[in-house]
Amino acid sequence: MIPLVGLAVGVVLGLLLQPTLPVGLQPYLPIAIVAALDALFGAFRAYLEGTFTDRVFVVSFVSNVFIAALIVWVGDQIGVGSQLSTGVVVVLGIRIFTNVAAIRRALFHA
Amino acid sequence: MRVTRDVPGPRRVDASMDLLNQILHAPVDPDYARVAAGVAPGDRRHARGHHWWLALVLVLAGTLFAVGALQTNRTRPVQASERTELIQRIQTAEGEQDALRRQVEDLDAQNRRLRSTALGGDDASKALETRIDQLGPLVGLAPVTGPGVVVVVDDAPTTGDDSRDQVLDLDLQVLANGLWTSGAEAVSINGHRLSALTAIRGAGDAITVDYRSLTRPYRVEAVGDPRTLQARLAESAAGAWWNDLSQNRGMTYQTSDASRLVLDSDPGITLRYARTVGR
Repeated sequence: MIPLVGLAVGVVLGLLLQPTLPVGLQPYLPIAIVAALDALFGAFRAYLEGTFTDRVFVVSFVSNVFIAALIVWVGDQIGVGSQLSTGVVVVLGIRIFTNVAAIRRALFHA
Repeated sequence: MRVTRDVPGPRRVDASMDLLNQILHAPVDPDYARVAAGVAPGDRRHARGHHWWLALVLVLAGTLFAVGALQTNRTRPVQASERTELIQRIQTAEGEQDALRRQVEDLDAQNRRLRSTALGGDDASKALETRIDQLGPLVGLAPVTGPGVVVVVDDAPTTGDDSRDQVLDLDLQVLANGLWTSGAEAVSINGHRLSALTAIRGAGDAITVDYRSLTRPYRVEAVGDPRTLQARLAESAAGAWWNDLSQNRGMTYQTSDASRLVLDSDPGITLRYARTVGR
């Protein structure tokens, strides 16, 4: 229950407060969101498999988001930012899809 | 000394795809399994403090999504307004260009007046001026009025994205050249007078004349002898070309006589070479 309530509260907070990101951070927001999605689906799969742990989720979420943004930032500094963000999106996208497939198998046995 | 060679073990078929395998088969952070293995199932939920962290991180994730969505939505009107601003700038620039063209025409007229006063009234000057007046309409320097032919051409009505059913720059070039060879004195396309220096070219989806893009349908006006112009155009290679296009591709190709056509001068013509009389 906590996860869904937390997510909903976060969305409502974001919509109500409409915080503005510093301009320097704006390019890294989409990548951070993809990394967050990856961590969320990974956590959900672990939950269904019975191996979920709060601590691991918190650490993996924060590090995922941070590392993804960092990779793109470094890429921007050395001039391959768009290529690196494509790479990050591809890798995280594959992970998300395999995780969702596992979740689907666990939930619907299909 | 004996050289021993390592006998290679049986190599996995997909050994070169380790990275992909890793991504595909180990998508969950292995830490979940590792921590779960170390902690007894009953103990796992003992640390209540972590629940708050979990809630906090999830709130953070939700905020992240909301902010991301808002950001994308917020930049959309900015892009739209930039687009309209660009369109406006283009229109202003086109207006300025038109004003400048009119100025060029005014100055040209002024030039002609000054020239005739400067030439004076003796016979040689008069002969020179007659020659200028004769050549002016032919090269596009002077406006031309007279009877002629109007040719209206357009893309095939059922055209899809097939460029073979659309009028190309080449087709207009063929038509213009055909009119010249059929005896036209002056030709204009959609009001743009053609001279020997006019370029008819395709730029993206549009055809440009003198680097100004045209809109369909294309109306080609030619001043010339109305008795022969249309017949000679029909007999020329250009006529055959366009008959083929209209019959096989369904493009519009209509020729009609006009008793009075007014063709403006070509503002793109400038004086490039001059010499003093009598040398």
